[in-house]
Amino acid sequence: MKPHVLILSGLYDFSTDLVALQLDRAGVSYVRLNREQLSDYRLTLDPLAPRLTIDGPNGTCVVGAGLRAVWFRQPVFLRNTPPVSLSPNEQLERSQWTAFLRGLCVFRDAAWMNYPPATYLAESKPYQLSIAASCGFRVPETLATNSASRIRDSFPETLVIKSLDTVLLREGDDCLFTYTTVNPGTTLRDDSVAAAPLLAQRVLNQKTDVRVTVVGNRLFAVRILSAGVGIAGDWRVIPKSDLEYQDTELDSDTADLCVRLTRQLGLTFAAIDLLETPEGIFFIEVNPTGEWGWLSGTDRPIDEAIATWLVNPPNHMS
Amino acid sequence: MSQHILITYATRRPYRQVPIIPNGAYYDHAKGYWLKDNEPLVLSTGGPVTKKCDHETGEDQKGE
Repeated sequence: MKPHVLILSGLYDFSTDLVALQLDRAGVSYVRLNREQLSDYRLTLDPLAPRLTIDGPNGTCVVGAGLRAVWFRQPVFLRNTPPVSLSPNEQLERSQWTAFLRGLCVFRDAAWMNYPPATYLAESKPYQLSIAASCGFRVPETLATNSASRIRDSFPETLVIKSLDTVLLREGDDCLFTYTTVNPGTTLRDDSVAAAPLLAQRVLNQKTDVRVTVVGNRLFAVRILSAGVGIAGDWRVIPKSDLEYQDTELDSDTADLCVRLTRQLGLTFAAIDLLETPEGIFFIEVNPTGEWGWLSGTDRPIDEAIATWLVNPPNHMS
Repeated sequence: MSQHILITYATRRPYRQVPIIPNGAYYDHAKGYWLKDNEPLVLSTGGPVTKKCDHETGEDQKGE
């Protein structure tokens, strides 16, 4: 087997199932590797050919000639906060498989969704805010800082507090996750901020969240509502049964900005969070491998769009 | 030193190494997706398609 599409994902990433199913139904030759199962295979990378040989329970698969696209859903190794204490073997597996996956960047002639170096850079919130502003997006005033006094000076009343990177921590049998919160700036004390930097941002009132999923040149935009109106604060804390996803057509300027930003970041896929406000539309963040399975369906075929892109990536020569 | 504000604001839930998989479901290596009763698991009623609101681990599959 010589697959046209290589998928690098996780075993429990069910959004990947949706795309694999589309590829399967289309009769496309593809192979999926999951990070949890890498040791179950015997993988051999020849970086000069380049060629990846996968010996597994279903025989041998050779990734190289004929490879059109790589779908990379694996930025997890960016995080250095494992939820449990790892044994030396587990640490070794993580570090070496991580390096192996990075090594797959040798498939430079394939189209990537997304190319890892672009993903890593675009994961940086300060960087993406800077690029979004340079593209022409409105961006709320933001500081990345561990100084409470600087925050109070810049945001004397209320402010949005969010993490620079996802906060997912382990304590005992629990895990902790931090959502975006609105905070009265005057109550911030230095000893509650100094230990680690955070993002402090101007509050945008009367906002409606808009999620734009960019797949190549295709855009899927939804407004996120509850009881027909926008949601104050982080909509993710609202019970799922109370949320509504309303398809919306972006004005042409905003749509162009979304595509321009995605390209400027070197991405082919992006999940962009915007806010509609009385002041206009603001860019909030972009997620290079953001989630979309919760939005995909027959009326919003994001899975089909990704599969189509992988099979026929633009500008692919073979 | 007091607790960092990002920890103060954190929500807490029981840690789970892997999601709950329906009885009888299995991963098909050749197909590259989960099956149950020979049908794709993601197409089953209430299937475990990634739902941001059900199990928030941050965007981008960063959660472990």
